Amino acid sequence: MGTNESSLNIAALIDDRAGEGIFRVRKDIYTDPALYALEIKRIFEGGWVFLCHESQIRSPGDYFSTHVGRQPVFVLRQEDGSLRAFLNVCPHRGSILLPFRQGRVKGSINCRFHGWAFGPDGRCEGITFERAGGYPGGRADKRHFDLTPLAHLETYRGFVFGSLSPAAGPLEEHLGSTRAFIDLFVDQSPDGIEVLRGSSTYVCHHNWKMQVENVPDGYHVPTVHRIFGTTMAQRQLRPGYDGLLQTETGRISGSVKNGCYDLGRGHMLLWADRASPEAAPLYPSTAQIEKAFPGEKAHWMLRRGRNLMVFPNLVLNDLASTHLRTHRPLGPDRTEVTVWCIAPVGESREARYARLRKFEDFFLLTGMATSDDLVSLNIVHEGALADARPWIDFQRGIATLVPGADEAARELGVNPASSNSSWTHETPYHGLYRHWLRRLTATE
Amino acid sequence: MDAELDREVAQLFSREAHFLDRKQWKQWLELFCEDAEYWAPAWASEEELTADPGNELSLIYLRGRGGLEDRVYRIEARDSLASVPLDRTAHVVGSVLVHRVDDNGIVEASSSWITHVFSVRGTATLGGYSDYALRRVDGALRIAQKRVVLIDDRLEIPVDVYHL
Repeated sequence: MGTNESSLNIAALIDDRAGEGIFRVRKDIYTDPALYALEIKRIFEGGWVFLCHESQIRSPGDYFSTHVGRQPVFVLRQEDGSLRAFLNVCPHRGSILLPFRQGRVKGSINCRFHGWAFGPDGRCEGITFERAGGYPGGRADKRHFDLTPLAHLETYRGFVFGSLSPAAGPLEEHLGSTRAFIDLFVDQSPDGIEVLRGSSTYVCHHNWKMQVENVPDGYHVPTVHRIFGTTMAQRQLRPGYDGLLQTETGRISGSVKNGCYDLGRGHMLLWADRASPEAAPLYPSTAQIEKAFPGEKAHWMLRRGRNLMVFPNLVLNDLASTHLRTHRPLGPDRTEVTVWCIAPVGESREARYARLRKFEDFFLLTGMATSDDLVSLNIVHEGALADARPWIDFQRGIATLVPGADEAARELGVNPASSNSSWTHETPYHGLYRHWLRRLTATE
Repeated sequence: MDAELDREVAQLFSREAHFLDRKQWKQWLELFCEDAEYWAPAWASEEELTADPGNELSLIYLRGRGGLEDRVYRIEARDSLASVPLDRTAHVVGSVLVHRVDDNGIVEASSSWITHVFSVRGTATLGGYSDYALRRVDGALRIAQKRVVLIDDRLEIPVDVYHL
């Protein structure tokens, strides 16, 4: 493909003839630098992205710094408890303002380069040596040097999202039916959920969309994670791994009911019933949850594992443990991923201990499953460079696709764009790439 | 200080590195007590490690040598993408210090280390430092606790117990 935007025929990269049994994407979508630049502009810097969780910025002055596409940003808790988000860049000469991922601002934000001061509300409050600065008219126009706010900042049940683009529309509209699935996490405790202290960051040598595709991909599980299943099975023979410390592996062998949804707007969900719900860290809360959420919602929370992809950069998994993940594209072939354990506020020490251990077993690059995922996606990216075979087919499930909701979705009261009866099916990607194409080709 | 103990501790740490680099897993496991605790804390921030495995994330937290045996099982099964082919490693362990011997004969010691890693998945140099509690079993010092701090916090390759 060419290296400038105008030479790309983006629509030709997605061969969407699902009605005829064909849905395929050109490998260029993972490798082309011009397309990557357009994705950053149109998707990451052109709409809603996940920023952080409110439990990471509890008190006034607490900040969380991250990126929106290429732009460094921070979210800051104000004195009145509200949140504001700004570019993490001094309006003077462009230095990064807040140096830590998480920290606390005491009083004003002071630029570490020339000492300019900004209030928590972003107003420029002090210019070093202003009077001696020889500014036009003797004084600098401080309002010209206020911090640059994000165009939108909104929260859904503790999850903080922002947009650099004024055209993003309401967050609730963007989240759509993912909200019901976010609720399945947040409602696990009457006091909500919290991000636990400690994280892990790693750099993948693959395109960011491979991270996205991996979320509703149950098809790789019986192959890539077979070794995780057999390792856990031999572990179970030793004492000390019963109760909540037993690791659920029924999903890996594919022996449970499962399915997947295209939730629209690039969002996707995979679900699989728990073979051993009594091993889940949430199990001790069964009575309380069944009382608070009678019917199918409790079933979804207690007896059904879920992977949720909130397009483009929030991943929430509730499997053997609960996992919050975000990714940041660094280039067509480099993606930075950060993971945290999220947990119900106030859960028992026993449940918390089990949740953490099972998180570490699976969800880290120092663990026994995410490490295998990383390598599998890296070698898929290597293969994406082999454009002598230029197309990737997403055929699995085309014949069994159900437009709209299936029974499980109806029970939860959500209305996906499409449903499918197996987590090995690839039809959620149809929605992903239709949305992707719309975002890249929409007229500005 | 006890020169003989210093020598014995340094030997133990060298053997640990030797067995990992030569992939002599069984001999490596035998350096640990049955009830050994193996803990690699995660980073809580740019400057702070997590301190409470019961309430905070660790990179690895294993109670009992069995947790390390699981890792060896996974490596030897030849069914893990991240472990086939295995990475080549070279550990260099230094700055060995014996800090104290408590009333029960438990030896507290520490080291710093660098592991150079080469693989098809990339080349990396990892570094860190470790704190140990060592217990004498049948006359020989064995690892009762290992707390290993990996200073690298933006990993580009999977890291298993044999990289640390």
